[in-house]
Amino acid sequence: MTSTLRIEGLRVEVAGKEVLKGFDLTMKSGEVHVIMGPNGSGKSTLAHALSGHPGYKVLGGSVTLDGMELLTLSATERARAGLLLALQQPMEIPGVRPIDLLVAAGADPTDLRRRMSDEAYKVELRSDVLDRFVNVDLSGGERKRAEMVQLGILRPKFAILDEIDSGLDVDALGAVARRLAAATSEWNCGVLAITHFRRLLQELTPTMIHVVTDGKVVATGGPELSEILERDGYEPFRPAHS
Amino acid sequence: MKIFADSALSFISERPDALAREAAWSSFLASGLPTTSDEVWRYAPLSELDMERFDVTRAPSKAVDSDFAAQLCSKSGLVVRVVDGFLEPSEATLDGVRVRSLDGATTLAGGTALERYENDSFAVLNMALAPATTVLEVADDVDVQQPVVILYSATGTSSFSRTHLRLGRSSSVTVVEYFEGGAGALVVPLSEYEIGDNAALRLVTYQRLDSSAWHVARTTGLLHRDARLSQAVIGMGGHYNRSRNDAELLDVGGENELRTTFLGSGHQVHDFRTHQFHKAGRTRSTLLSKGAVADESRSVYTGLIEIEKGAKRTDARQTNHNLLLSPHAHADSVPNLDIRENDVMCAHASSVGPLDELQRWYLESRGITRADAERLMIQGFFNEMLTTLPIELAELVERDVTSALASLNVVAP
Repeated sequence: MTSTLRIEGLRVEVAGKEVLKGFDLTMKSGEVHVIMGPNGSGKSTLAHALSGHPGYKVLGGSVTLDGMELLTLSATERARAGLLLALQQPMEIPGVRPIDLLVAAGADPTDLRRRMSDEAYKVELRSDVLDRFVNVDLSGGERKRAEMVQLGILRPKFAILDEIDSGLDVDALGAVARRLAAATSEWNCGVLAITHFRRLLQELTPTMIHVVTDGKVVATGGPELSEILERDGYEPFRPAHS
Repeated sequence: MKIFADSALSFISERPDALAREAAWSSFLASGLPTTSDEVWRYAPLSELDMERFDVTRAPSKAVDSDFAAQLCSKSGLVVRVVDGFLEPSEATLDGVRVRSLDGATTLAGGTALERYENDSFAVLNMALAPATTVLEVADDVDVQQPVVILYSATGTSSFSRTHLRLGRSSSVTVVEYFEGGAGALVVPLSEYEIGDNAALRLVTYQRLDSSAWHVARTTGLLHRDARLSQAVIGMGGHYNRSRNDAELLDVGGENELRTTFLGSGHQVHDFRTHQFHKAGRTRSTLLSKGAVADESRSVYTGLIEIEKGAKRTDARQTNHNLLLSPHAHADSVPNLDIRENDVMCAHASSVGPLDELQRWYLESRGITRADAERLMIQGFFNEMLTTLPIELAELVERDVTSALASLNVVAP
């Protein structure tokens, strides 16, 4: 089944400042969309606002999944509708084990620990890390691989990845990118990846690239866009030049 | 206090060490019960404490283990049963471990027990009325592989237990102390843990007494050179649950890690007190106290870090977090420092408030409902306390905590 995630005219305020100023993007299941942009362009704000982070205030616009408005739903309901955010810096939850998190999130408990190990294997994460408390005492790379384990178990319709490649070494980046690429065919997962770097795109072929500056999408195109960015940086896309 | 006093005097007269007990009893009578005008008893509902409800237990009864206690025992290498302070005779053995019952109230800290505890009415009462001291010793150089479980059952209306754990040089052991029973009872455990040079004690005390019990516990860790004490105290039961957990770092290189936690519900009062006393240099203490109060329960945490002049390069840290789960619950946090040496690292932090909003959001963003997210986080407090336990024991206690939390009512303040 094909699902559609549609973001229209999204405006979001953080700490009293409007950061997203009318953001538009439409994508379907199985597609990989990549959002690139300089620091402060609103990339991370998009990820947090989509998943209902309490520090982000939506001023206007709409986000729908197969026609259902998400912005009026709680963070829980958005996740249950099929949205999963993988964070740049996943939070430590002391005393909570990953398996208990997943059961509470609605994962089928049957054979769950073994399935978690299988998922850990796919991203080259030591399985015993999954017996520790959620993200506690994990390295940056382990945390992001652990987020991929959650993704593999929860199988969201759309995965939003907030700079999941920052702080990752080449091996970890490759493992995460391959896992995401596999997810697009395994359950037709749509991937919305926010990144600074082209490296991610070497393993995860984008359907579409969106360049964001100053809270808006200023250019959309195929993989060739990333080559322009590589050569000229974001300067050609700044509002003053457009 | 006639009924209680009569039963106390009659119990004392039957014991072999009646003279010493009479001295303790006289000392108790002279000082009397504390009052809430004593700063350290300020938060205790002492006006509800009617000693006439209690009767001194004169002979051991046969305790019936709860299902949970039975499971705990099945995962241990040695089970020690203490019923109302009486050590239950047992043929069970574990290599390198010796368990016995000793008459007489002594202290492992040197001097007489009465002098040491004279300002603490309940400890003095314990000296007069505990049937004996249960002594568990680990021989030098023995690394006890399997955990030891000490089951304390409170079956009568009063239950005074006294315990000494002594670890010989370079030995190590894991001990789980579990308290159950205590309906309508006064439960007063007094414990000392002496850890020899380079020895390591991993200790979890899990208190699951009836919610009508008065529980007044005091423990002291005595750490010699390079000794390590990892102690976790979990308080669930009791109408009034007082837990005083002290450590004295007597010689260089000692390390004390203390974690305490509690869950308050109904009209419970949880009263946690700690005192980390650094008497020697290059000693380290890490204290983490976390608790949650729901319904109309109250809690107080009072912690003192004391560093002796000359205890150079001491590292002492104290953290206290209290969660409010209801607008009618209340938590107080009183950290104190008494530092008489300059060359030290010392830090303390405390907070009282609701659950961390961002952690909760992270869980919700996985599709977890708010109620389940909060329950998981609170449960996490307790699970964190169990990290020193072998995994199968930790899981057992976690499951028990989880079932206790299932009935908890969380209301955002």
